[in-house]
Amino acid sequence: MTRLWSFTLITLLLAGHALSQEPGTKVPSVTMAPVSRARVAPGAAARVELDFRIGSEFHINSNKPKSELLIPTALKLSATNPLTVVELKYPAGEDTSFPFSPDEKLSVYSGDFTITAVVRAQAKASAGIYPVTGELRFQACDRSACYPPRSIPVKFEVTVAR
Amino acid sequence: MGMLAAGKYLNRVRNHTQSSMVGDVRGVAAPNFELATLDGKRVKLSDYRGKAVLLNFWATWCSPCKVEMPWFVEIQKKYGNDGLVILGVAMDDTDTPKIAQFASEMGVNYPVLLGTDKVSEEYGNVEFLPTSFYIDREGRIVGKGTGLLGRSEIEDNVRKALTAPVAQMNQVEAPATNSKRVKAKPAVQ
Repeated sequence: MTRLWSFTLITLLLAGHALSQEPGTKVPSVTMAPVSRARVAPGAAARVELDFRIGSEFHINSNKPKSELLIPTALKLSATNPLTVVELKYPAGEDTSFPFSPDEKLSVYSGDFTITAVVRAQAKASAGIYPVTGELRFQACDRSACYPPRSIPVKFEVTVAR
Repeated sequence: MGMLAAGKYLNRVRNHTQSSMVGDVRGVAAPNFELATLDGKRVKLSDYRGKAVLLNFWATWCSPCKVEMPWFVEIQKKYGNDGLVILGVAMDDTDTPKIAQFASEMGVNYPVLLGTDKVSEEYGNVEFLPTSFYIDREGRIVGKGTGLLGRSEIEDNVRKALTAPVAQMNQVEAPATNSKRVKAKPAVQ
């Protein structure tokens, strides 16, 4: 519940900021919800769901856009010993056409999307809380313009416990 | 590839500077620049003094920009003999051959220049694409288009750039409070 409220508050603040600006000076927003209770046992792997929300006027390319010229959404994570990020699972993009090109479908994310990180702890890992940090890089467009690629920081903690 | 290509552009738009290119820029002298073409030549805006210029900022990763490009090709054909020059400024930073390949596939028939931090800043920090400036024969901006415009709106701006006489430019709708408006001063040296 707290997580939902935080998400909502941040989104409302960003939306208000965007609306207060002149057209053309708005900033595409992607926010990440806090991660709670990520937990893994030594020698095991755990899935950590990372929830993101895109500002309502925008869409971003999926991780697998339909053209190599388009900039994919990509998460880079760095885990500290004894954790390793062994896999990132991106959601499929939604094939969508836009007013600027009604005959072409782009693979995009809009609204909320979730990337799943699979985190493994070494077998001899000591119990404790370990940070995982990184960044989400994306390139947003609205219905008539595209904005330069941006990155937002990503950070969460994983508890290693038997 | 795309991420690398866009990295420097991100830094570019972060380096905001105050300039007369913010807000309504009609009547403002178009900042001169010197940029490389896809084949390594150097081009200055001032080389086109006496021509009307459609200066279009775009990038290969910008889907709306792709929509405009065929229109620009046709507009260049239609108005080239009247003195129109379209200059495409690619805001991709790397991989010039891929930009060239893209332009070739789009049938681009006008010069494509490689954008820089400096030219972006001088044009008011081009924060989103496509963005186009319409520049008259005297080097003054008569219109600006941000985001994808309709073809008719683009052509209206082109005709304005082609036909704006100096005397008329003195009367460009400038609010009295805007001291940065340029009055009949040669813009491009």
